Amino acid sequence: MSATTEATGARSGSWKRLFDLRSGDTLTKVIVILITIGTLIYILLPVFWMLKSSFQANVEIRALPPKWLPENPTLQPYENAGRLIPLWRYVWNSLFVSVTASVIATLLACSAAYVLGRFRFPGATLILALILLTNLIPAITRTFPIYFFIQDLGLLNSYGGLILSYVGFSLPFAVLLLRGYFESSAPPELEEAALVDGCNHFTAFLRVILPVSLPGIAAVAIFTFLNAWNDFLWASLLLNQGEMKTIQVGIGDFAQEGGGPQYVNAFMAACVVATIPALIVFLFVQRWLVGGLTAGSVKT
Amino acid sequence: MSGLKIVTPNRPSKGRVLAAFTLAAVMSGTMMTQATAQSIDFWTQPQGDLLVYQDTMNALASEFKAESGIDVRVEVINWSVAFNTWLTVAQGGAAPDCADMYWLHSFSGIGGGKYGPQPITAYRDQWPTLEEDFFPGALEDVHWNGEFYGIPWRVDIRPMMYRTDFLQEAGLTAPPANWDEIVSMGQALTVRDGNNTTRWGFAPGNNNPAQTLLPYYWQAGGVMLSEDGKTATIDNEAMRTALKFLQDLVHVHKITSPEIFEKSAVPLDDFTSGSVAINGSMGNSWPSQFDRDYPELEDKWAIALNPEGPENRDSYSGAGYWGVLYGTDQIDACINWIKFLSQQENMQRISEATGAASPRRAVMASESWNARPWQTVMGETLEFGHTSQHATSVWSALASPEPGAVLYDLVYSTVIGNEDIDAAVVAAQARMQTELDRSATN
Amino acid sequence: MVRDKLIFCYLMVAPAMLFTIALGIYPMLYSMWMSFVEYDLLRIQQYGTPFVGFDNYVEVFSDPRFVQTVSNTVLFTILAVSGTLGISLLLSQVLNAKFPGRAIVRMAVCVPWFVPPAVASAIWMWLLNTERSPINYLLRDWGVIDSNIRFLTDSTQYGPFSIPMLAIVAVRVWNGLPFAVIFILAALQSIPASLYEAAEVDGATIMQKFWHVTLPSLKPVLLILLTLLIIGGLGSFEINYIMTGGGPNNLTNIMAVYSYQQAFSFFRFDLASAASGVILILTGFVCVYYIRAQFKGTQQ
Repeated sequence: MSATTEATGARSGSWKRLFDLRSGDTLTKVIVILITIGTLIYILLPVFWMLKSSFQANVEIRALPPKWLPENPTLQPYENAGRLIPLWRYVWNSLFVSVTASVIATLLACSAAYVLGRFRFPGATLILALILLTNLIPAITRTFPIYFFIQDLGLLNSYGGLILSYVGFSLPFAVLLLRGYFESSAPPELEEAALVDGCNHFTAFLRVILPVSLPGIAAVAIFTFLNAWNDFLWASLLLNQGEMKTIQVGIGDFAQEGGGPQYVNAFMAACVVATIPALIVFLFVQRWLVGGLTAGSVKT
Repeated sequence: MSGLKIVTPNRPSKGRVLAAFTLAAVMSGTMMTQATAQSIDFWTQPQGDLLVYQDTMNALASEFKAESGIDVRVEVINWSVAFNTWLTVAQGGAAPDCADMYWLHSFSGIGGGKYGPQPITAYRDQWPTLEEDFFPGALEDVHWNGEFYGIPWRVDIRPMMYRTDFLQEAGLTAPPANWDEIVSMGQALTVRDGNNTTRWGFAPGNNNPAQTLLPYYWQAGGVMLSEDGKTATIDNEAMRTALKFLQDLVHVHKITSPEIFEKSAVPLDDFTSGSVAINGSMGNSWPSQFDRDYPELEDKWAIALNPEGPENRDSYSGAGYWGVLYGTDQIDACINWIKFLSQQENMQRISEATGAASPRRAVMASESWNARPWQTVMGETLEFGHTSQHATSVWSALASPEPGAVLYDLVYSTVIGNEDIDAAVVAAQARMQTELDRSATN
Repeated sequence: MVRDKLIFCYLMVAPAMLFTIALGIYPMLYSMWMSFVEYDLLRIQQYGTPFVGFDNYVEVFSDPRFVQTVSNTVLFTILAVSGTLGISLLLSQVLNAKFPGRAIVRMAVCVPWFVPPAVASAIWMWLLNTERSPINYLLRDWGVIDSNIRFLTDSTQYGPFSIPMLAIVAVRVWNGLPFAVIFILAALQSIPASLYEAAEVDGATIMQKFWHVTLPSLKPVLLILLTLLIIGGLGSFEINYIMTGGGPNNLTNIMAVYSYQQAFSFFRFDLASAASGVILILTGFVCVYYIRAQFKGTQQ
């Protein structure tokens, strides 16, 4: 086996390797490929359906036999979606809330994770345990108290209330992830060198540790962003009036009295629009993502 | 998708809240909207075409402003969050000055005289000809506990709708006029393809079990509650008759789909796609929607009075109304706005824009409401309207379209689950009484 | 410890702690309080919130529907977690291998991440609607079935399982795959290639390499993933609620949905909090194992 691998050398990353002829292996590979293709269809089917419906007329969407491709593709649904609800304003709202929450959460998580991972001080264990604990409380059990709390602060139906909530919910997981990450990838020697050079702890953290840990930070940022972007429960609870709604809640505007969407294609178009920004942000940040997760979770 | 909103308990620490509120407002840069002496907040649910409705209401608001100098800020509350919004309002949450509301009895009960809809009995004399001008069923919806709460502006009336093309195919000349004909015609209209039913002959109503049950129960001669709203009255012959009828439709005659009450059921889609030939209690906005969105169905549908049951042919009716909320300091401005809206020509405009039946007799008798045959039938059905409201604040809990609600369980277990009707009715009566006793001080 | 180091530590940790307490600990305690008092919206104006001890819990457990939701929740969680873990293990293996187009496949697998659960539910509802489903249509066309599968409405029970349950599990797995795949993928990439090479020298087949090299190395990561998925599963709400509202005959009802219905449809916040309390208890058990595992790790 190793002889073959060496011989194929630079081409070992190609299809040839897949079709290596060892009967036990081939069978496994064939099965795996079949299952993978099936799974990919399963994964992509709804997205494809959503996408293609957003270019079709309502009648086509409902038709049986199903029309897998739009017969007369049209951008009308997107226009309708924009007319029926302030689509772009909602997208902006979501972006603003998600990005702000992500930035704040990342900053706070970095600070906390760093000291919790690096130093042993009284109460560190307790604090870590508390943070771990809150990570595991399901959202649904917090709905009523948090609503009252935000209302008491007068932050109901404001960006601030929602942002604060998202920060609070993402912090535990972020701290956990980053703590493991700092522990493993930012060696104490770096910090010591900075201290020797005359930095205090805070500047050492800022100038030396943070830049080195970008992958982990990117991972946390993207997680928080996605959680905030996709969230429906809290957005519909805390910010659901007028123009400030996030896009996920805004999509609910399509529901009529009967419950079903009045303009199905416009609804699908709005769904597509609700999905794209997250996709773009992810594409942008993804190269750091995998690296950031590795150190964080394996060493934890 | 339903929105979530919850309710605040009675928090008397006003000073603390006010301080925090101000601080937070400064911190988060929230704009605090101060209601000036000349402006009021008005919330409304959309009706009919969303854009047309918004345009109409905004136009009316500007005309009102030109006339009176009062600025009305119209905000549209979408149906997906409407119920929870009003629930929050009834609990002390943020509220407008006046609004388009519904389910007066429930929200008043919850509000307990402090929040939610405010009675305007003192202003009733500003509408001296109320009884002549409006249908009685609609007026029932704005009175409670002897008080008057506002002006009804749209009626949700639900006649029967049927596919004329399918009836023709089956050699039928007229839609069912009574329960027996529902069964016989339904059988003629049901089409099967092997093990699959490709077309169901009859759908009794929409996917809300309680709402669907009501007309049939009334038609069998029953009422849900005593007049004072304190006693449940569903353990009787009429309930058994109604339930048996519906149960047989699904399990004996097999002309009704067993999926009708599922969350994913969309009665409108079923009708337009031809999966259902007759809907016994249609959504009231269907006709105008069909005219607008389904031109391919032109001439293939018609509506008719609900078929007659053993006792009568009562039709489901519910009215939305314009009313004033507790907590406003602009009652007079609100009353003026409501008076403006309730003028005949404005109610006419609104009715035409939304396609919703108007509780005002003159509007329903007007030309625009008689141009199409279906419109005339809507008007006729209004005479048989029976309000769906009930004089208890627990009603929305009883009739909630969620499993676990008393009526949901009763209807679902018997009609879909084919369980013994007697036992189910007795159990439901007991449960319902327990629920009614919850708000016993009402 | 040096004094300013100490101050530094506490300062860095303080904001995170504040958020954690305000949005994690406090709501949990408040919710627990609510489950021990009477909190009926229709009575609260007149009767306030008197203490009732365990009455709410008793009432909730005497409701056969609730008892069923507890077993449903556990079943759903088991099914969804196994499905997610199984498929993600397979997919991450495939994605770990080098083949042309790998980046595209990886992107494709991540797509469900950007589709928010609320949107995903709406689209899957469309795809699984008995009469309108393209899936049903295709299956009938190919002769696999002769009457439409009632994905979300079939109330026949096969032991503890039912078709709607399986349908919703499929949607939940769909939703959870990207996260799991990325998580495992990250860990896979830190397994030293030397281990695989050693196995190949010994003549191992693909399956053997998987069992003897991959799985053991992944064990810590898999445990963490398992915990996160279980917690998420126990508290899951949106998908079940939107798609079936508790399903035909209570078959897809889970504790979170029950809790929500009690609060917002029947106005019984006390019963809702009791149901949440039960979720918390179950989650608590999982917590204990998780924390033990965490601290075992740090002490090594």
